[in-house]
Amino acid sequence: MTTTTTAMKTILQIEDNFANRRLVERVLEPHGYRLLNAIDGQSGVDAALAEPPDLILLDMGLPDMDGQTLVAVLRDAPQLEGVPIIALTAWPEDIASEMAARYGCDGCITKPINVGEFAGVVGSYINR
Amino acid sequence: MSDTLVLLPASDFTVEELTDAYNRTRTDYLIPMPMNPNRMQEYIDLYDVDLSHSKVALEGDTIVGLGMLGVRSGMSWITRLGVLPEGRRQKTGTALLGKLLEESDRGDLPVVWLEVIKNNVPAHELFRQFGFKETRELIVARRAPGPARNKAMALDARRIEYLEHDDVIELHRRRQERMNWLIAFETMCNVRRPAPPTEGNLNGSPHEFPHLSGLLVEYQDGAQGWVSFQATALQLKRICVEVICGDPATTTANLLDLMHHLHASQDAIIENIPDDKRWDGYRQAGYFETFRRIEMVRTME
Repeated sequence: MTTTTTAMKTILQIEDNFANRRLVERVLEPHGYRLLNAIDGQSGVDAALAEPPDLILLDMGLPDMDGQTLVAVLRDAPQLEGVPIIALTAWPEDIASEMAARYGCDGCITKPINVGEFAGVVGSYINR
Repeated sequence: MSDTLVLLPASDFTVEELTDAYNRTRTDYLIPMPMNPNRMQEYIDLYDVDLSHSKVALEGDTIVGLGMLGVRSGMSWITRLGVLPEGRRQKTGTALLGKLLEESDRGDLPVVWLEVIKNNVPAHELFRQFGFKETRELIVARRAPGPARNKAMALDARRIEYLEHDDVIELHRRRQERMNWLIAFETMCNVRRPAPPTEGNLNGSPHEFPHLSGLLVEYQDGAQGWVSFQATALQLKRICVEVICGDPATTTANLLDLMHHLHASQDAIIENIPDDKRWDGYRQAGYFETFRRIEMVRTME
C-alpha cells in the first residue's frame, strides 16, 4: 500500500474587507488550506516576504495602494518567484481579466465568489 | 427623506471617521476604490475639498451618508457622494446633494462640477434631476510597469528638455484646454513630492516637497509636445500630455514612450482624460481603459 502525504498549502489573502476575508476562510479552510491574512498592501508585502505562501489571493481595491501596483511589487520579489497571484475583484469581468493579464497575475476571480466552485478553482492554480 | 436625518459639516468628524464612512458607502459599488486616512487626507488637500462645506448624514449616532465639496475660484465640485447600505432608499443621497448645492450657492460658486461613473444609472439620473448636464466622457486608464514599446521613437528627438516642478506648473498655467478638476492647474499646484519610501512604508508619506516632473520634446519631424507626471517610487500619476505641434496620437505615444523609457519600473495611471485623438496615443503606448466617467456641470441661472 502506498501512502501519500500532502503538505498543507498556505494561501495569503490580501483583502481589506472583513466579511470577504471571513468568507474565503470559511470556504477554503475545510479543504485543508492554511490561510494567512493581510488587510492592506503594505502588510500583504510584509506577510508574503516573511513566509512565501503557495498562492496569493489579492483584492485589487486596497485602501493604501492599488492592487495593480501591489502586483508589480510582488512580482519583483525574487522570494516570490513562481508563487501564483490571483486577482480577486469586484470589477466587471472583462476589465478584471484584462487587468490581471496585463499586470502579470496568473488568474482572476470576480466577486462575489461562487462558493461551490471557489476551492476547486483556487486548487487548480496551486497544482499547476 | 427620513424625518430624523441630520446633515452635519464634515469638519465635525475626523479624517478616520470620514474614511471609514466613505469606504462603507463603496462596499458594493460599481468600481470599488477604498482609501485609508492618508489617502483621504491627500485627496482633500489635492482637490481643495472644503470640509466645512462638505456634509455627513446621520441617523441618530449612525453615519449613513457622505458628500464632499471641493471649492475653487467661482466653482465647486461634488465628490465622494455616497450612502451607506443602511441609509439607502430614504432619499439620503438626495438630501446630501441638495445640501451641497445649497452650500455652493451660498458660497457664491455659480458653477458646480461632478463626475459620475458611466453606467451608474441611479446616480446619473439623480444628478440630472438636480439640473446637471453632461459635458463629456472621461477615461481612466492604466499601464503595467514595463519598458517603452517603441524605444527608437522615444529617443528620436531633436531636443529633450527635462522639466522641474516649477517649469511644469508654468506649462499647466498656460494650457488653453479646460482640464477636468482632477488634473486642473489648481490640482497640479497642490501636488507635493512624497517622502522616499522606507522599509515600513512602501508608499512614502505625502506632501513634503513640490515635485512634478516633465519632458518637453521636439522631434526630428517638427512635432513638439510635453508630458508631465508625478513619479512616486511605485507609480506614475497625474500624467498630462500636451501636443503643441504634430499628429496628436503619434506625438502623444512618443512622449509617453519616452517617459516610460525613463520610468520602466513604475505602474502608471491616467485619470479623467477626454476621449480625443490623444487617447489613441495613450493606447499605442500600452494604456488600457479601466472605466469611464461622465463629467457634468450645473450653472446657476
